[in-house]
Amino acid sequence: MPSDNFIPCTFNLYSTLHIVSIFLSYLVFLIATATAAAYLIQDALIKSKRTGVVFSRLPDLSFLDKLNYRSISLGFTLLSLAIISGFIWARNIHGTYWGVYNLRQIYSLVLWLIYAVILHARLSAKLRGRKVALLSLFAFGVLVLSLLATCR
Amino acid sequence: MNLVVIGINHKTAPVKIREKFSFSPKQILEVNQILKEKSALAENLILSTCNRMEIYAVETRGVDCIGPIKEFLSRFHNLGLTDYQNIFYVYRDKEAVEHLFKVTAGLDSMIIGEMEISGQVKKAYQDARESHSTGKILNRLFEKAFNNAKKIRTDTFIGRGAVSVSSAAIRLAKKILGELGDKVVLIIGAGIIGEQLAMYLKKNGVKDILVANRTLEKAKILTEKFSATIVTFDEFRNRLTDVDIVITSTGAPHCILRKEDILELMPRRKQKPLFIIDLAVPRDVEEEVNKIDNVYLYNIDDLQKIIEQNISLRKNELDTCRRIIAGSLESFMGWWAKEKKHDA
Repeated sequence: MPSDNFIPCTFNLYSTLHIVSIFLSYLVFLIATATAAAYLIQDALIKSKRTGVVFSRLPDLSFLDKLNYRSISLGFTLLSLAIISGFIWARNIHGTYWGVYNLRQIYSLVLWLIYAVILHARLSAKLRGRKVALLSLFAFGVLVLSLLATCR
Repeated sequence: MNLVVIGINHKTAPVKIREKFSFSPKQILEVNQILKEKSALAENLILSTCNRMEIYAVETRGVDCIGPIKEFLSRFHNLGLTDYQNIFYVYRDKEAVEHLFKVTAGLDSMIIGEMEISGQVKKAYQDARESHSTGKILNRLFEKAFNNAKKIRTDTFIGRGAVSVSSAAIRLAKKILGELGDKVVLIIGAGIIGEQLAMYLKKNGVKDILVANRTLEKAKILTEKFSATIVTFDEFRNRLTDVDIVITSTGAPHCILRKEDILELMPRRKQKPLFIIDLAVPRDVEEEVNKIDNVYLYNIDDLQKIIEQNISLRKNELDTCRRIIAGSLESFMGWWAKEKKHDA
């Protein structure tokens, strides 16, 4: 068990790192989600040959796909950082890395796994475009659920 | 001090008459000067494009200039005016100003909202300034016309949306693939529209063009035209893995690209987006291909429909354009009234 004197110092370092990185990762995932939604709309418009005002205003598919991929990569890195610092913070307070019934931790890991799958699929060139966009919308759904489940 | 415009355009005269009255770019400077002297005008400017020939003039006080201008035109071009009385339109003062604003903004063009005219008017204005045939009024008028055209271009949809097959295809290509600088195009079959489109793509900076045709001679002509690479007809399927845009225009009676072909192709392409433009009738590419992820198929009818939509979209903007013109008109007429008072 850590001594009482030890707690305040580690609490500050890891908690700050945890909170800042998780907040930033959510923000970046929000950008990824917005670009994914824009991608899906633009893709549907081009496929169905409706090239009106919305088509003209939205950016090109290539740009949206790249921005989505980059923001997921960045968000994933930040989320990993948040999870690691969260584990250390938890250990310093509770003496254990993993609380068995800690919903927050479980949700974060699930989220991390989903984004890992998306990145893997994209990097190995198995999926691209519409399906990646759909997956990133799904991932954001899980993110919102995790917030609702743990922020009561 | 009256402002007058006299001219002919694509609505009043067919090309075989318009060409008789047109001035070559080399003549313009000289003609502006001669016209000013011979017709005793205070200011004048000639606008001569393939669709119109117009003369904008400011009369010297108390002298009607329509007669002298017509006489000048007839002498210069060696034409008897009696045959051509009905093709000229004449607008004065406010109407003339409004006409110029419309012309410069592309509202009087054959394809409404076409913006090439704006540059042509600018060139005509520069030429006239160079030949010292314009003065205070025309200078102010044309500057106002350019501002007005710019405002219409930025505030309305009048000049937006492609209105030709080639430009519609390019726009789509850019919306799917982004910048075209590193993209490769494969043309299968050597049809005329395919050729035009390829030229246009080249102008838009695509990296490379490959041509596959059953007869090599035809392909060779194309390759010479825009330094393309020849691919044999049997080989083109292998090249599909690394091209970004495919244009088909073969005379084949059946599909040359089927859904199975493309489904099998996409993993090898690592799901890289593919834009297929099928210009052939009967069609070269199976319609179902469009349902595959990251593949976008447009045929000639799809492109035509886009053009029609865009033209009607442009027409919907006419009311807004008229309002902008009314504003510019009022502002110019206000300035001019003050000038007249000042001169008097």
